[in-house]
Amino acid sequence: MTARWFPTILGPIRQTRGLAGEVTDAMALTTQVSKEPASASIAPAGRTARGVWPVSVARPTRPSWNRARQRVFLVFLGPSLLVLFVVTLLPLTFLLATSLTSLDISNPASRRWIGLTNYREVTRDARFWNSVWIQAQLSFWTVSLQVVIGFAIALLLNGRLRLLGLVRATFIVPMVLPPVVVALIWKVLFTPDISVLDWSLGLLGLPQPAWLVDPSFALWAIIIADVWEWFPFVMLMLLAALQMLPQEPLEAARLDGASRWQGFRHITLPLVKPALLVAAVFRLIDSVKAFPHIFIMTGGGPGTATEVTNFYAYLEGFSYTYVGYASAIIVVMLAVTLLMSLVALRLAGWEVEVE
Amino acid sequence: MSSSRRGWTISGTVLLVFLVLFPALFIVQMSFKSGLDAFQMPPTLVFRPTLENYVDVLQGKFLRALANSTVTATAATVLALALGVPAAYALSRTRFRGAGLVSLWTLSTRMAPAIAFGIPFFLIYKDLDLIDTRLGLVIIYLTFNLSLVIWMMRAFFDGLPRSLEEAAYIDGAGVVRAFAAIALPLSAPGLATTAIFTFLLSWNDFFYSLLLTRSEAVTAPVAIVNFMNYESWEWGKVAAAATMIMLPVVALSVLVRRYLVRGLTAGALKG
Repeated sequence: MTARWFPTILGPIRQTRGLAGEVTDAMALTTQVSKEPASASIAPAGRTARGVWPVSVARPTRPSWNRARQRVFLVFLGPSLLVLFVVTLLPLTFLLATSLTSLDISNPASRRWIGLTNYREVTRDARFWNSVWIQAQLSFWTVSLQVVIGFAIALLLNGRLRLLGLVRATFIVPMVLPPVVVALIWKVLFTPDISVLDWSLGLLGLPQPAWLVDPSFALWAIIIADVWEWFPFVMLMLLAALQMLPQEPLEAARLDGASRWQGFRHITLPLVKPALLVAAVFRLIDSVKAFPHIFIMTGGGPGTATEVTNFYAYLEGFSYTYVGYASAIIVVMLAVTLLMSLVALRLAGWEVEVE
Repeated sequence: MSSSRRGWTISGTVLLVFLVLFPALFIVQMSFKSGLDAFQMPPTLVFRPTLENYVDVLQGKFLRALANSTVTATAATVLALALGVPAAYALSRTRFRGAGLVSLWTLSTRMAPAIAFGIPFFLIYKDLDLIDTRLGLVIIYLTFNLSLVIWMMRAFFDGLPRSLEEAAYIDGAGVVRAFAAIALPLSAPGLATTAIFTFLLSWNDFFYSLLLTRSEAVTAPVAIVNFMNYESWEWGKVAAAATMIMLPVVALSVLVRRYLVRGLTAGALKG
């Protein structure tokens, strides 16, 4: 019996130990096996030869396991890291390189290195600065309104457990809809003649602006669509935060005679502040992505009234074919957004997980 | 709480739910109206529903676009899972130097606007003849899908007790087998959630399809825009097509609603 077991048990050990260690360990195992016939006799039935050993000897073999695991894990990780490198890092490098050229895709022969010329051009481009200003307004209003509305509704619904399931299921609808559908919905709602919105405003005696073609309303049309799409995100995050709050401090404050407002101001608000900030930062980050809305609802117009930087770069690159210049705009935008987002996340007290 | 107050909060909540859903419901009801009904103001709530918009839409090229959307989103999901799930498992079960970098990278790619990848991919695809192919879309969807899968699945694996896998090692299962036979089945709910999530993101994509397809590989969200332009705003058809794109999304997302916020903040949220 012992002889038959010997090579089997040696298998995993041989991978890591020198000859001396191998012998001693094998000896130890042999004695144990003979001491514990029960555990040994279970093992052979239908198991692979390689990994068979009794529970009691698991410890000495752990180092070899860990090493085998490390090897397998490298194989698990390798392809993903390689693909991530190829699909994200390489293209961004290519973008950077393109921004240093005069590439015009209608004339591929135009590709020449022109150094930082595009960047110098960007700083002097009034249309670029206009697009930054429009983006700033869009971001400011969408984020503020989403935070205010989302927080208000979360407070309103907190504690009303019975209908919470229904609310959760319905409030996610706007944010999971394909952005193109959101844009189409609001395009319809903002088009006079077919829009119930237009009709209701008329009914209330309010002005019925031609939202999408009036320069003073077009940006607001985009803002309203974006607020509708994303306030549920803030609401759901805050509702989750509110529901995890301990009830005791609030109750104690009530007993001490604090008003509802004082309880909210001095207890609830400080406790949900981290969630509030993080929700706001995430909305801020995503507010630079309102591409489909602008593409479908206004096309950047009227004039340049809704032309955010993202959209301006798209026009430069693919309507006017100046891809080199568009790349420079995007690199600037990317650098600013990344920097701002990381700083904002840090300030919001949310450390990016870095080990 | 008195019963009248409860009545108020319930009706208030129901009203709120209705207001939030209203814009989406408006487009759905429009899709069932014939041309004349759609322009009735006030909107008629009782009307003879018609499927003519759907019939019209499906007779055109839209059916092919829907097929393109389904194929690319499914392929992108399968590919991202195949690559990302083992990687997530490895990251969850061992301390790697640079594991934090993966989080940071996930976050950064999430912050980048689509056009930052759109421009270089467009130029590269022109050289590789990948413009207007489904394969081209599947590859570019990896830019956001793969890191999302790694990040979400890692959190799910972190939540699994390791003792089961350790027991399996001791019983003689190899590392791969412990992963495939123990960890993977146990994380099935997480796997399903992640799969739905990546599917939704790919299905909802507008920008990449707009930029990288022309006619053969056009996906549904872009196809809507095309027939909008060429057929001079047929609202009923637009509404029908929009309804068809959004229905699967709404149905799937209800299944993953608990994890939705977590997925949307991928990279920053711990666990």
